[in-house]
Amino acid sequence: MKTILNTALAGVLAFGAGMAQAADEVTLQLKWVTQAQFAGYYVAADKGFYEEEGLDVTIKPGGPDIAPAQVIAGGGADVVLDWMPSALASREKGLPLVNIAQPFKSSGMMLTCRKDTGITAPEDFKGKTLGVWFFGNEYPFLSWMSKLGIPTDGSEGGVTVLKQGFNVDPILQGQAACISTMTYNEYWQVIDAGLTADDLVTFKYEDMGVATLEDGMYVLEDNLADPAFKDKMVRFVRASMKGWKYAEENPDEAAEIVLDNDATGAQTEEHQKRMMGEIAKLTAGSNGALDVADYERTVQTLLEGGSDPVITAAPEGAYTMEITDAALN
Amino acid sequence: MMWIALALIVWAAAFALNVFLVRNKAPGVGYLVPVIFGLTLLFVWEGFVRGFGISPVLLPPPSAIGAALVSKTHILWEDLVQTFFKGALSGYIIGCGSAFVIALLIDRSPFLQRGLLPVGNFIAALPIVGLAPIMVMWFGFDWQSKAAVVVAMVFFPMLVNTVQGLQATEAMQRDLMRTYAASYWQTLVNLRLPAAMPFIFNGLKIATTLALIGAIVAEFFGSPIKGMGFRISTEVGKLALDMVWAEITVAALLGSAFYGTVALFEKRMTFWHPSQRH
Amino acid sequence: MRNILPILTVVAVIVALWYALAVVLNAPWAYSKAERAEQTLSFSEMVSDTMAQKKPRLPAPHQVAVEIWETTAEKKITSKRSLIYHGWITLQATLLGFAFGIALGIGLAVAIVYFRVVDMSVMPWIIASQTVPILAIAPMIVVVLAALQVDDIVAKGVISMYLSFFPVVVGMVKGLRSPDGMLMDQMKTYSASASQTFWKLRLPNSVPYLFTSLKVGAAASLVGAVVAELSLSQNGGLGARLLAGSYYGQTIQIWSALLSAATLAALMVMSLGALEKATLKRMGMAA
Repeated sequence: MKTILNTALAGVLAFGAGMAQAADEVTLQLKWVTQAQFAGYYVAADKGFYEEEGLDVTIKPGGPDIAPAQVIAGGGADVVLDWMPSALASREKGLPLVNIAQPFKSSGMMLTCRKDTGITAPEDFKGKTLGVWFFGNEYPFLSWMSKLGIPTDGSEGGVTVLKQGFNVDPILQGQAACISTMTYNEYWQVIDAGLTADDLVTFKYEDMGVATLEDGMYVLEDNLADPAFKDKMVRFVRASMKGWKYAEENPDEAAEIVLDNDATGAQTEEHQKRMMGEIAKLTAGSNGALDVADYERTVQTLLEGGSDPVITAAPEGAYTMEITDAALN
Repeated sequence: MMWIALALIVWAAAFALNVFLVRNKAPGVGYLVPVIFGLTLLFVWEGFVRGFGISPVLLPPPSAIGAALVSKTHILWEDLVQTFFKGALSGYIIGCGSAFVIALLIDRSPFLQRGLLPVGNFIAALPIVGLAPIMVMWFGFDWQSKAAVVVAMVFFPMLVNTVQGLQATEAMQRDLMRTYAASYWQTLVNLRLPAAMPFIFNGLKIATTLALIGAIVAEFFGSPIKGMGFRISTEVGKLALDMVWAEITVAALLGSAFYGTVALFEKRMTFWHPSQRH
Repeated sequence: MRNILPILTVVAVIVALWYALAVVLNAPWAYSKAERAEQTLSFSEMVSDTMAQKKPRLPAPHQVAVEIWETTAEKKITSKRSLIYHGWITLQATLLGFAFGIALGIGLAVAIVYFRVVDMSVMPWIIASQTVPILAIAPMIVVVLAALQVDDIVAKGVISMYLSFFPVVVGMVKGLRSPDGMLMDQMKTYSASASQTFWKLRLPNSVPYLFTSLKVGAAASLVGAVVAELSLSQNGGLGARLLAGSYYGQTIQIWSALLSAATLAALMVMSLGALEKATLKRMGMAA
């Protein structure tokens, strides 16, 4: 019995080694469903950029109930895409996520309000109902509100917060004065639904000085101690960034590639092409390397979270430049 | 390794104890045995999580869940009020009540019954999760939309059971009522409703678990910032799995208690029925 | 067949109510659109607008019918936009989960009937397990199973099993216990072994109960598969369709996915019903 087991085990190992020589496997967990927000990775896979680097990449789409941090903790992925506030919060919870690359330079998050509610400036939020995404995406909003000194717990002079679902209905149905939107996605769904830009007022987190870094690549700290893993990540980041730059230059083709990869068949060409155009504005200005000044600003914003800050202390070792330094020279 | 071994030993010991208890028909065995089994399950869970070093981000040990249950009682209570008393209970009463009334209304028309039952069964097969975002769109973010989902969930099981119950009398009994020259209403109140009780209670019992689950699920699709479903769906994103499981525990206890209450009520009301006399 | 006319009547009433509701629910949007365009709507203009909105609060029945027709008959079934394609994915997960559920349910039922310890210790917890909202634990099951390198379809099957095993256990316990004392005594006088009693008396007697609970279980496992697809949307399926529809506010798509799911459930229940009739007839147990 023992010999049989040993033989089988040896076989499995040999098989694994053989695979490793053919191509290193990398699993990437996305933050959300397949859409142009992740065009760079799909382009890199489709155009063979990963293959050129000797990688076999599996891209797993996320969804409303998928927490990338949980997936990587369970070993279901090697790299995850996450927003920095939620990644830093996970780190404080004891899950050592490390940022290895930051393809998104700017934040696309904003609060979109209906003009007919009389909102013209952030001070007007008081007494209104605002739609917010939760699931780790509420941190930028809470930091902003505490900076403005507006309570969010329903007390006097504060705002009423709704947990917004996945769509833009609350603003269309008049259930909320403002909702959270991304420049590249939900905002255009509001427009598509029949409201015009003139009916709306938007507050970009970027303009309000409370922008936090969005889609970055995160890995587990322990894995980085392994030189083989590190090497794999260097190649992964290099190929992914090549994919991003290709997508920026060929937005229509990138959108087509994304559509081909959408298993639900729910995405439309029009929406994805437009999304790709907006995404390109956010990735422009990043070659993949994290800008430490952006990182410091994000940490500062999160620490300022008033009575209930998102993180309580400035994190140590939450990012590394080693991967991008090796990948991009 | 030690934890795993310990867990397995405790499992074996508890199993032997249960076998012994059942064989010897010890007093109170009906409560003791499931409780021992449940405790063993918790212990094995704890042992495996510790023994295999499972990350608390994936599956927290029961001790951590217990700690969350104790330290976050005020949040859990606030969520419970929002989800159970406002959402589930009001939906349960409206849904079961209206199903009962409609069952009485269509009782006089066999034509409607024959049409409504198959259609009702078809609608009952709808995955209600799909209705939840629609209800949120129609009835807003607060508990009203949750109650609406609950109504949709409990209505048809209750309707089908009541209609069946009203047909549960025997021809002989109905003939007897006729010889008494009883009116439709007299027959209904004195014969057919009592005979329908076991069916009605069956519907009410099925509806208890449906109501709670419906209210929780509906909160996944938009809610104010409290409620059990809100907490479960958002704390996962914050990796606060102990809190998620604490809410799930409360939900399971609450669901069982709700079911138990209705079952107890049934015993009181239908003590005369053969199924209650053992 | 005498039920056809009543069913059609009820369906007609529902469709009429549906149209009325569509007008009422979609009217505010029609008016607000007109107001922003600085027009006024006559009643008939308003009604025709409510029948043809792109993202209505409640799509009119014919809009859903058109959508279903376009996504079934007019699309190749291999297309990712075909409802048949997604329905097939969901059906596979459903059948797998149903098979898991039947196996687990019957296994548990046999253990419960034969071992008093199991009956007393496990049964209350089986009931308690159904008070746990599956949607809450589905994402966690997905993550844990993915960590164990389990295929996605198996993960969906496990989630669907969680809902479908319950009716099977309950029905089978009842069924296996249905032979009364007299029949059991008769087996004893034949000096039948325990396994003979099981195969020749208890099991055949439980068949009608089994079918009743299978019909409930089939619908439950479909709901389970749809719920699982909300967390595992990358491979498509009706649940993924629902999610995407909800995410993009495509109400017409939500309703068409919902109706297809219900149709799938009805088809499964109907084929189980046919199987039940045939089986009971061959066993000489037909009512």
